[in-house]
Amino acid sequence: MVQLLAPLQLLWFGLAVPLVLLYVLKRRRIEREVGSTLLWEQALRDLRAERPWKRLIPHLSLLLQLLVLAVGAIALARPVGVGGATAGARTAVVIDTSSSMAAFEGGVTRLDLALGVARSLARALPPGGDLMLIEAAAAPAVVAAPSGDATGLEAVLGRLRVRGGRADLEAAIDLAAERLRGAPAGSRIVVLTDSAMDGEIALDGRSAPVEVQRVGTDVPNDAIVAVDVRSRATDEHPDRADIFVRIHRFAGDPADVFVTASVGDETLASRRITVAANGAESVVLTADLPPGPDGRAPLVRVVLGRPDGVPDAFPLDDVAVVPSPAAGRLPVFLIGAPIPAVERVFRTDPEVELFATTLAALGAGTDGSDGLEGLDGLDGLLVFLGDTPPSPPSGDSLVVAPTGDAVFDLALGEERASPQIITWDENDPLLRFVELSDVHIGALRPIESPAARTLVSTDHGPAIVAISRAVGETTLVAFDPMASDWPRDPSFVVFFRNVIERARTRRAAGGIAPGAVGEALRVPVSAGQALEVTTPSGRTLSVTARGELAVVAVPAEAGVFEVRAGDQTLQPLLALRNHLDPEESDLRARARFVVGDREAVGATAAVERAESWPWFAGALILLLLFEMLWATRKGAVT
Amino acid sequence: MSSEARRDPGPGVAEDSGAGLLRPEFIRRLARLRVLARRRFAGTAGGARRSTRRGSSAEFADHRPYYPGDDTRRIDWNAYARLEELVLRLYVAEEDLCLYLFVDSSRSMGVGTPSKLHVAKRIAAALGYVALTGSERVSVVPFGAGIRRPLPPVRGKGKVGALLRHLDALEPDGATDLDQAVGEFLARRPRPGVVAVISDLLDPGGYQRPLERLGSARHEPAVFHVLDGAEVNPEAGGDLVLVDSESGSRVDVSLDARAIRAYRGRLTAFLEGAESWAKRRGVSYVRLFGEAAFEEALLEYLRGA
Repeated sequence: MVQLLAPLQLLWFGLAVPLVLLYVLKRRRIEREVGSTLLWEQALRDLRAERPWKRLIPHLSLLLQLLVLAVGAIALARPVGVGGATAGARTAVVIDTSSSMAAFEGGVTRLDLALGVARSLARALPPGGDLMLIEAAAAPAVVAAPSGDATGLEAVLGRLRVRGGRADLEAAIDLAAERLRGAPAGSRIVVLTDSAMDGEIALDGRSAPVEVQRVGTDVPNDAIVAVDVRSRATDEHPDRADIFVRIHRFAGDPADVFVTASVGDETLASRRITVAANGAESVVLTADLPPGPDGRAPLVRVVLGRPDGVPDAFPLDDVAVVPSPAAGRLPVFLIGAPIPAVERVFRTDPEVELFATTLAALGAGTDGSDGLEGLDGLDGLLVFLGDTPPSPPSGDSLVVAPTGDAVFDLALGEERASPQIITWDENDPLLRFVELSDVHIGALRPIESPAARTLVSTDHGPAIVAISRAVGETTLVAFDPMASDWPRDPSFVVFFRNVIERARTRRAAGGIAPGAVGEALRVPVSAGQALEVTTPSGRTLSVTARGELAVVAVPAEAGVFEVRAGDQTLQPLLALRNHLDPEESDLRARARFVVGDREAVGATAAVERAESWPWFAGALILLLLFEMLWATRKGAVT
Repeated sequence: MSSEARRDPGPGVAEDSGAGLLRPEFIRRLARLRVLARRRFAGTAGGARRSTRRGSSAEFADHRPYYPGDDTRRIDWNAYARLEELVLRLYVAEEDLCLYLFVDSSRSMGVGTPSKLHVAKRIAAALGYVALTGSERVSVVPFGAGIRRPLPPVRGKGKVGALLRHLDALEPDGATDLDQAVGEFLARRPRPGVVAVISDLLDPGGYQRPLERLGSARHEPAVFHVLDGAEVNPEAGGDLVLVDSESGSRVDVSLDARAIRAYRGRLTAFLEGAESWAKRRGVSYVRLFGEAAFEEALLEYLRGA
């Protein structure tokens, strides 16, 4: 059975309508009587003899033209038949989805080219044959079980994306060979790869012959292969930092590139450098990187550009995002009336970036009517001294000496004088190395809530509790330390340091770990919580978490991914993805596919089977059109 | 060339040429001319033209032996004195010439402004006039696919009117078949003479064979090739269907530069072929394009007589 790979091309046959019309419609001619047409007939015979083509009998001409048109249209439709393929044969198509397959050539990616070949294979299956798809990523996987359903296979192919990172092509071929064990004769493994990887892969000794089809050509590429931001703070410039960038050129000729560092929309520094052929060049850019008003450390974005402004073939490695050194320091916001002992503990910690403010300044009222816009803009540990907002903020928070009737949604008991500490949970991270036996509390407003985890109990009720939520943890110290002797006890500093460390750890864990391009985001959330991920290119992905940790597959894009969980007004989590792999940035074919001790034919030397004959068919149709127009033009002699 | 002085074209000539075939000033120019004949023909009556026969003119022709019964008055006694043999003196006979005006009156002659037939009539009228005033015998033989109603041989200036009227009555009709017409003409065994074929020669059957047949029958053909100006210089005119006036066949043609160039090539070959053929066969050939130049061309031909 013959299939058409491009059935829409049959629309060319629609030209038969005007063709027939040209034959049916007669040209309007004026009659003129002459004495004799004897000489005219002889003259016209001369003209016909001068023509480069022989005049056909009109109807035969029409028939031939229609045939040419039909053949051309069918040819353009790329008919494929069973050909030499064995009936029932199985084809395993291994598709390289490493990050280098995202390189653009001719406006499409190498993966697009590979998918095109795979689609052709899926549509040209022999009778009874089937095809399976194996994705060659870091870990090979069968993405489509053997099937003869071209539509289903194409749907799977349509979902394939560049994964980022490297591809274990040999493992993928092994997997394919394993799956083809016992397959009918004529079965084969087709590997679609750009061969842009180091190493040698043996193709022999498999259960089925392996055919490697290379997609793409050797194209030059400039890449950011390393980036870092290190503090170079001085007394005069406490936020000064050096931005280190290493550029590698994978081409046989040198080139000039621009390295530009920016934060948000502000350009920090830019420099033009010349990178030698197949060489690397380092650049150090110096800039002041103060934390933002929300206490967040700025993210430095480094972009590689060419003087002509045209992006190179592989844009993934032309962008890198790196946090500034301030990201390692925990912002602590003291909100409310200062408590000197507490403030002293935070101020003496060098890894704390301390801010002091009030609820009123942040715009969060205590009447419950106002929102949390001001609070949610803060990324760090929030320490409420006295008054608290109506609802807990996102992230970690600490409440000391609460006032009012409730803390968030927890009711405060009546003040009790001189409570005695009875027990404390030594195993809780917050009370690690904390010894409270010698601590005496002046007054206590106990917190009674089953949702709270009691850390310190007194004879009048819980004195310190913790409430864990998906978006953060709140620790409540239900008494005023200044009305106790606790600040004089070493456990006071240890406790607050534990809170700081706990917040720092949770902040690190609650944020999303940096990773390579294409690496999935691992987001700590509540089960069933909806996540919305915005990619660097602005696309939005929606995911619903199934467990405590949502694993979000993201497209291979370099930059910052923003993750919002639940309430869209909350501060988004950020995830950084960079492509800093020199092996994948080198887009030139380097892999050697060998059979025995010789390089396999059709491996690195092979190129994609470009179907050039449709161009010839198109040219045939254009020639036919030209002939029609020429033969029927005004003034043509019939 | 010989000429005969004539001061007056003759009474009633102009008014008899109802279609204005002969203008008075043209007639005056024709007066001193006579029809060109390259060889001598035997006439039927005495005339002003030397005959192939021996006659009684003053021009000595030859001697021949005397035979009993011969006119003794023609014995050349001086020769008898020298040769002692009786011989007769023979003199050239002067007889009239037969001029056959073969006028092509097929439909193809009807095209043009004025029509080629009109030009042919004027040529025939001029030739006929010259011949009649020169005491020749003139016959009009219109032809198409065959001979149509001919004018029997007439002689004398008084027949000019009849000649012109006969010519004036000719209308274009039918196809051209010169060979058929010549066959019919020769079948009537006409007395040999000058046959002036006035035609466009656009005969699918060709003109060479019938003219050769005339020569073989001791006639002297003379060709007057008439073409219309539009036939010689066609103008570009877009997409046309050319309809053959005789056969009705149709030819689709786009009159662009290429087509006209090809036509002119064929026309030139046709004209040059006719002229060279006539030259090789010793046939007088006169080409006449339209009415404007025909008088001069005709006079030039007649002056060659």
